[in-house]
Amino acid sequence: MKSSRATRSRPGADRARLIAGRVVLFAAIIAAWELAARTHAVDPYFVSLPSKLSRTIAGWFASGFIYPHIVATIHEALVGLVVGIVGGVLVGVLFAFSPFVSGLLHPLIVMFNAMPRIALAPLFIVWLGIGLASKVAMVVSLVFFIVFFSTYAGLRDVDVNLINHVRVMGGTRRDLMRHVLLPSALTWIFASLRACVGFAVIGAIIGEYLGADRGIGWIVQYGESLFDSNMVLAGLIVLMAFVATLDGSLGWLERRFSHWKQKPL
Amino acid sequence: MIQVESVTRTFETPAGEFTAVRDVSFAVGAGRFVSLVGPSGCGKTTLLGMIAGLVPLSDGRIVLDGRALAGGVPPGIGYLFQRDALLPWKSALQNVALPLAIRGTPLAEARARATEWMRRVGLAGFEDYYPHQLSGGMRKRVSLATTLIYGPPVLLMDEPFSALDVQTRNLMENELLDLWADTRNTVLFVTHDLEEAIALSDEVIVLTAGPGRVKATYPIPLARPRNVVEIRFREEFARLYEQIWKDLRDEVQQSYAQSTRR
Repeated sequence: MKSSRATRSRPGADRARLIAGRVVLFAAIIAAWELAARTHAVDPYFVSLPSKLSRTIAGWFASGFIYPHIVATIHEALVGLVVGIVGGVLVGVLFAFSPFVSGLLHPLIVMFNAMPRIALAPLFIVWLGIGLASKVAMVVSLVFFIVFFSTYAGLRDVDVNLINHVRVMGGTRRDLMRHVLLPSALTWIFASLRACVGFAVIGAIIGEYLGADRGIGWIVQYGESLFDSNMVLAGLIVLMAFVATLDGSLGWLERRFSHWKQKPL
Repeated sequence: MIQVESVTRTFETPAGEFTAVRDVSFAVGAGRFVSLVGPSGCGKTTLLGMIAGLVPLSDGRIVLDGRALAGGVPPGIGYLFQRDALLPWKSALQNVALPLAIRGTPLAEARARATEWMRRVGLAGFEDYYPHQLSGGMRKRVSLATTLIYGPPVLLMDEPFSALDVQTRNLMENELLDLWADTRNTVLFVTHDLEEAIALSDEVIVLTAGPGRVKATYPIPLARPRNVVEIRFREEFARLYEQIWKDLRDEVQQSYAQSTRR
C-alpha cells in the first residue's frame, strides 16, 4: 500500500522505524515485567523474573539439558507431520476423485474432526504407551484433517475453464492431475502447511504433557508438578522460539514455491 | 468440417427444464471461417461446448470430419475460451508447449516450436513471463499460440476478444486472419458483435433468442485478405451489415424482453 507518508519517507526508513518500534515495545514489556516482579507488585513466585528466566534457559543450553527434549519434540512432531500430510493428501485425492468414497466416508470424517483432540490424548497414551507412538498419533489426528480438507478443497475448486482447456488439447486424466489439479491443490496445501506445523508442535506438546518421559511438554509438566513457575515459563519460552523459527522457515519456503503468483499490491 | 444435425440441449434447473438450444442444424465446410451471432443467452457457448465434447447432447448428433461424436473430447479440436484458460503456474512458453508435452514431443523440440509460436504471435522475449505478468491482449496471444501449435483441423472460438479494448481487439482480429491464412483450420467463431462476425467470416449464422435456433445464414462474399478495420468502410460491408442486422435486431429485442421479464 502506498500512503502519502510513504512517498515522503523512503521505504527503508519506514521499515527501520517499524523494527525499532518493535524492539522498544518488546524491551518495555520485559522491563515492566522485571520491575513489577522485583518490587513485588506481582509475586515473582508465580510469574518469575525475566532475568531469572534467561539465566535458567541459558543454563539449560550450557549444560546440554535441553537438547534431548527439543530433539524428542521435533522427532514426534516431524513424524506426525509427515504421516498426517501424506495421509491427508492421499485421502483428499481419493475423496476428490471418487464421489462414492467421499459420500461413504464423509460422515465419519466430520465426526472424527468434531472430536476434541485433547480429550483423545489420554486414550492414545493408554493405547500406545508413553513413548513416541502416542505423540505421533496425537499430531496425526490434528494435521491429517487440516491437510485433508485443504487438498479436497484445492482439488474441487480448480477452475473448470483450466480443466476444459487441457482436456480439449488432448489431456488425459493423468495430464490433468499433473498439470492442473496437483499444482492447484499444492497452493492450498502449502497455505495449510504453516498451520500444520503449529498444530504438529501443539499435538506433540499435549501428548508429552499428559504422559511422557521427555520433551518440551514434559519440562512444562514437570515444572508444574514442582510448582516451579520459572521452569514452566522457561519451557514455554523455548517452545515459542522453536515454533517461531519453524514458521519463519516455512514462510520462506512458501514464497519460493509460489513465485508464479501475483504479489498483492 | 463440422456438421451439427438437429441438436437440442436441455438443462435441469431448480425452476424446471431449461432449453438452451433447440433443433439446431448447420454445417461449417472444411477450411471455412464461419461466425455464429445471436443475442446473449441464445446458447452459443453451449453449442461450442457440445462440438468440443465438453457438454453432452440431449438430442441430435454432431459429426466432425466424418466422425460422429460419441462422448468424450474428440481429437483435433482447438478451443479458444472467452475467459483466459492459461495455467497460472506455468510460464508463457510452458503454456504454449503444453499441448506438445501432452503428446509426448521431446522437450527440446517442444520448446523450440513453442518459441517459434511465441514469435509468430508477436511475443518473442516474453517466454518466461507468467500469465499474471502479461496484459489481456498478450494473454490472448499466448492462448492463440497454445491452440494453434498442435494444428487442430477444427478451431472453436468463444468471443475470444470480447474482453479487450477496441484497438487491441482490431489488432488481434487482423493477426488472427493472418495466422489463419496459413493454417486454414475450419473455424467456428462465436460473437455477439455483428461487425466482428462480418469482418472475419466467410459466412454468418444468426441464432434466435433462447432457446437458440438457426434463424438465417448469410454468405459474406468479401475478398481476402481483409483488413478488419478498413473493410468496415466498404459499401458492401454496410449493405451486409444492414441486411443481417434486421434479422438480429428482433432477436436482440426479444432476448432483452425475456431477460427483463425474469
